[in-house]
Amino acid sequence: MNDATLIRKNLFRKRLRAVLLMVSILIAFLIFGVLGALQNAFSVGMTSAAQERLVTVNRINFTVALPYAYWGRILQVEGVRDAGPASWFGGYYQEPQNFVQSFAVDPESYLAVYPNEILLPADQRAAFLEQRTCAVIGRALATQYGWSVGERIPLMSNIWQKQDGSQAWELDICGIFDDRDGTYPTNYLMLHYDYFNESLAFGRDSFHWITITTNDASQNDRISQEIDALFANSPAETSTTTEAAFNEAFMEQFGNISLILTWVIGAAFATILMIVGTTMVMAVNERTREIAVLKTLGFTAPRIFRMVLWEALLLSFLGGLIGLGLAALASAAAASALAGFLPSFGLSWMNIVTAMLLMAALGIVTGLLPAWNAMRVRISEALGKI
Amino acid sequence: MLKQTTAVTLLNLRSIPQRWGMSLATVLSIALVVGVLLGFMAMASGFRATLDGAGSDDVAIMLRGGAMAEMNSTVSREEVRLLEVAPGIAAGPQGEPLLSSELYVVADGIKRTTQTPANLALRGVGEHGPGLRGQFSLVQGRMFEPGTGELVVGESVLREFEGFELGETVRLGQNNWTVVGVFSTGGSVFDSEIWADLGVIQNLYQRGSTVQTVRARLTSPDAIGALREYVENEPRLNLEVLSERAYFARSAGGTVTLIEWVGWPLAIVMAIGALAGAWNAMYASVDARTRELATLRAIGFGGFPAFIAAMVEAIVLAAFGGLIGAVATWLLFDGVSASTLGSGFTQIVFAFAVTPDSVMQGVILAVIVGFLGGFVPAIRAARIPLLAVHAD
Repeated sequence: MNDATLIRKNLFRKRLRAVLLMVSILIAFLIFGVLGALQNAFSVGMTSAAQERLVTVNRINFTVALPYAYWGRILQVEGVRDAGPASWFGGYYQEPQNFVQSFAVDPESYLAVYPNEILLPADQRAAFLEQRTCAVIGRALATQYGWSVGERIPLMSNIWQKQDGSQAWELDICGIFDDRDGTYPTNYLMLHYDYFNESLAFGRDSFHWITITTNDASQNDRISQEIDALFANSPAETSTTTEAAFNEAFMEQFGNISLILTWVIGAAFATILMIVGTTMVMAVNERTREIAVLKTLGFTAPRIFRMVLWEALLLSFLGGLIGLGLAALASAAAASALAGFLPSFGLSWMNIVTAMLLMAALGIVTGLLPAWNAMRVRISEALGKI
Repeated sequence: MLKQTTAVTLLNLRSIPQRWGMSLATVLSIALVVGVLLGFMAMASGFRATLDGAGSDDVAIMLRGGAMAEMNSTVSREEVRLLEVAPGIAAGPQGEPLLSSELYVVADGIKRTTQTPANLALRGVGEHGPGLRGQFSLVQGRMFEPGTGELVVGESVLREFEGFELGETVRLGQNNWTVVGVFSTGGSVFDSEIWADLGVIQNLYQRGSTVQTVRARLTSPDAIGALREYVENEPRLNLEVLSERAYFARSAGGTVTLIEWVGWPLAIVMAIGALAGAWNAMYASVDARTRELATLRAIGFGGFPAFIAAMVEAIVLAAFGGLIGAVATWLLFDGVSASTLGSGFTQIVFAFAVTPDSVMQGVILAVIVGFLGGFVPAIRAARIPLLAVHAD
């Protein structure tokens, strides 16, 4: 019988107790995993490309429009490669509750600023560029409403009105796009800006934001300043930031979600730390005489210390890994259900590594005191008390 | 029997300090579970209270059909004129209809807590605007003068955002404004807004004579039927008529449901973890008293009192934990001010509210955890064989 066997037998000597402890550890890591996945969903758009792309919006607020003519002027700024303007359409399908995130875009330039994100088959892309009533939709949105290529849908707007008083734009779905790198949201629809603009009753020739790619990311600071300087002291001043900063500022408006999640995870870990910690101390105290016997047999104090510590680590990893596995399953299931609402819901490698470190920390913290106690067991005292 | 049960139960409870480590872990873990649940519920009920407080049954709000939120709506001058002669609307002292055309735009403010920009609602209101909010009062300064660049800010704006103190000059978009007053509507959603003269906002934001919404004081809550009928039968009006309460209930629904949908499952999952802990602690407690319980059996006590005593111990510990959690949440979070993005793309400031109702739910959850956690160990306590007297 080697030490490993002894450690395993010790851990499971009271099977129910070990299982109960594992359940509470499992729950803590389940919570850690699922909330971590949620946190990832909220920090989407912080990719490296988003750090390099720029977004120009109205300085008052991004809900206030900019004149269409700004597009041409931004393109002339030195270092700007592509710039794609877009308008918020405020779409819904049939009932106002069926919200469809939708933008009216200039197809060619908008696709050009997302070359590594939007994956659209060449024939569908050609159709989109050519036909003004065409719209392309993301995979997640297509799944949500069961739409397929070739369908014609009336998309209502909760903001815009046509000159004839109606609020519905008839759209042909010409393509479904996927994300190329697994982090880009596919929960929205793009329609032709021209088709949208020509029938507007008010607010014509304006857009809400313009996404810009540059030839050299190190020039971005200069380029944003130059763009904003172009329109300074005009009726519509602009604010140009990186896309990542823009997304982050928007998400922050919901409140400090990260802080709330951190508190909850902290509460979950405080709970198991107390439960597992006290139980481990008790479990080792129960074995005082046994440890004295081991010592009599020639087990050294450091060896006993290590064995108790390993026992705590084994418990922590058994519970933790199962919990993390369940979290991965749960977030995979939730990801497809939430695709339209919260894209990029899922565990990252970062989460997994952090979880492993936490398992190790938990094992060490809960094992240290009992291991210390076990190491200091004195044979004469322990065997003396009958 | 009753006497036996009482005796064993008291014996049990009095010996808790001897097992303080495990008992404390049980109490604190349950306290944390209840604390998390109540934290989320306080957030949800605080948010709901802010929007409920804003809605009145005898105020009607009219926005363009399908617009859902004020932000998306447009109402033309002609439509407002038609509404001025609509039935069911109460009259003011000079016989004029109590009607307020309103327009709001989004402006950036800096949140005090995070120093990040956040959207604020800048609302243009007419002369009857304040009168249509039940508890409107100016707490500092005076009302703005129509036609000037003066504004009044809600109490919550002053509290959560920088630079809106009385007398300050604020730059919103292209324009400088002077803060001349601070108003309160009793903690409702309007306290998160900045108000200025409607005409000035229309002019500065190039909205011509259009507005977004029209609010009207109804002669009675039932008069909304007559108003709605008038609007539907008038072909020149494409408007949705809602009571203000219904409008806010609709916009609060999503956020409240989301918070509750996160809070409850989380609390239940955490409760399962705490349940495992309580179960474990109760097992330890029964184990530690094996000899004691067997002795009691030997001198004529039944198994049932031992069962009840263990159950009572578990439930007392759990309920105690629940109370600690509730009190801690109340001390830490009740009244804490927070803000989030509302349906109109603007910030809504609300205060966490720990309600008696949610405290009840939290304690009930704790007791359920105690009951389930104590059940199996209690059965074990009842079945300890007499011979266990000799256990070491």
